[in-house]
Amino acid sequence: MPALKRALLLLLLSFYTCFAAGPFVWAAMLSLRTTTEIHRNHFALPSPAHWEKFPEAWFNSNYSVYFANSSMIVISAVLILTLVGSMAAHCLARYRFRLNRVIYFILFSTIIFPPQITIISLFQILVQYGLYNSKIGLTLVYVAIQLPLTIYILESFFARIPSDLFDAARIDGYSDWEIFWRVSFPIALPAISTTVILNFILLWNEFLYAVVLITEEANRTLPLGIQRFIGDSQEDVGMIATGLMIAIIPVVVVYAFFSEKLIQGMTAGAVK
Amino acid sequence: MARDATPAGAETNLREDALAKPWGTIVAFLLPALTIYVAFTAYPALRTLWNSFHKVLPRREEAVGLANYVELARDDIFWRAVRNTITWACTSPLLEVSVALVLALALYAKVPGARFFRVAWFTPVLMSYIVVGILWLWIYNYDWGPVNVGLRALGLDYFAKPWLGDPKTALPSLIFVTSWMWVGFNMVVLLAALHSLPKEVIEAAELDNCGWGGKLVFVILPLIRATLLNLIVLSFIGKMKIFDLVWITTKGNPLWATETVSTYVYKRAFEWTTFDLGYPSTIAAVWFVIVLATVLTLTWVFRLREKLEY
Repeated sequence: MPALKRALLLLLLSFYTCFAAGPFVWAAMLSLRTTTEIHRNHFALPSPAHWEKFPEAWFNSNYSVYFANSSMIVISAVLILTLVGSMAAHCLARYRFRLNRVIYFILFSTIIFPPQITIISLFQILVQYGLYNSKIGLTLVYVAIQLPLTIYILESFFARIPSDLFDAARIDGYSDWEIFWRVSFPIALPAISTTVILNFILLWNEFLYAVVLITEEANRTLPLGIQRFIGDSQEDVGMIATGLMIAIIPVVVVYAFFSEKLIQGMTAGAVK
Repeated sequence: MARDATPAGAETNLREDALAKPWGTIVAFLLPALTIYVAFTAYPALRTLWNSFHKVLPRREEAVGLANYVELARDDIFWRAVRNTITWACTSPLLEVSVALVLALALYAKVPGARFFRVAWFTPVLMSYIVVGILWLWIYNYDWGPVNVGLRALGLDYFAKPWLGDPKTALPSLIFVTSWMWVGFNMVVLLAALHSLPKEVIEAAELDNCGWGGKLVFVILPLIRATLLNLIVLSFIGKMKIFDLVWITTKGNPLWATETVSTYVYKRAFEWTTFDLGYPSTIAAVWFVIVLATVLTLTWVFRLREKLEY
């Protein structure tokens, strides 16, 4: 009887797995088939596999540009976030001063802000400063929107580093900056890599700020590129699928190598 | 990740740093973050508030007092969008978290291949709303989408319909998509919470001859209550912001059936030919107050005041 129950449970779970991962597998298959093939049968296996569709999308549909833009913007935003965020988090966790908790609370509470409250004025401000439609502008905005979460995750980690370590470092003659850079930062690397992965995925997939702040073809990020592409060729299901896969692949690669770390990152803050 | 409310060793820090507060260092460490915060979050937010009392045209601005607010009160599309968004934010979290709980319990019961399931179920979260939206446009396609193909194969032709084109089914269909996307995430968090439960408590319950259902209701659920409520608040906040998915699939159509506050603000600010940024700012300001109030009420109701996370 328990064996039967077990088999039933397993069947149910497999069923759910098809439901959860099916769409992704289907998209992967579509990405290797031409639209004519797809219209003959939407659910057939990709044989022969049309790998040439990837270079085609990459070179002819401008995906190389979108990909380069996304990489540039996301990587620089993540680097700035890591440095600026960990500096602030270290300071808030390490130094006790009046307003410490106030600053922490102000930064942290921004997490629940709906994006509309800033987005319209950000558009005006970036236009004023000539940062509208520029990669630098979008990068800075990305830093700003992920800063609260980054500081929040890092602060709680920094706060758990025993202060004896800092005292020892100070006795050894370390300056405040050296204490941060050579003591805190290396110890916090697990938490920092968590925020790096988390910020990378969230920003790589970001759409709303990009669609408001970028209109020029040369500066489009991947989500915008995909949107433009389906606008132009709604019916070309095969090519759209190839584009989707190009956008997903970096995340899948990260996932393949760091799935534990990534799950940790995505779920950080929600686990009690 | 367990964490304390007060940093460990705070006492010693307090004593030591009270003697000499290195203000220069503190300012230097905080300045970059605060500059970015002020320039790209605080100032824009205040400016939106200011905008909401003005008519903001490309070349000129004029103060209109509360006119925008009066107009907003009578704007049926806005209230429709509010209703849609709140429906979304109230149904999706419950759906996600309850399905995730069932799945997490199944994996917790030591099913073979648990690791594989966990990785597979997590995949939807990795994709952006844009990718997910396009995939589900295809899945809901009237002629060849798997949903309708499946229904027809089962002889249920009557139920096959353009899911996103019918005002009655469009919103539920999209809510379903977000739940599909986030169940895996919730499941992983709940599984982590389950694994961190003290084994002795559950064993004690077993010794007391507590049945499977009893164990769940009286032992496990109370112990992971905080995580469950966190996940609900988290999901709620996420759904109040929803934009990408709607924008890529329906743009709020048909007949405003899937209009959310985010898409409406975007339309009024950047699509409609009124060119006025004041009115959409008013929507943003009012929505901000609504979101803040509901999140605070939620956390207060859940008595989670100090536990609100993410």
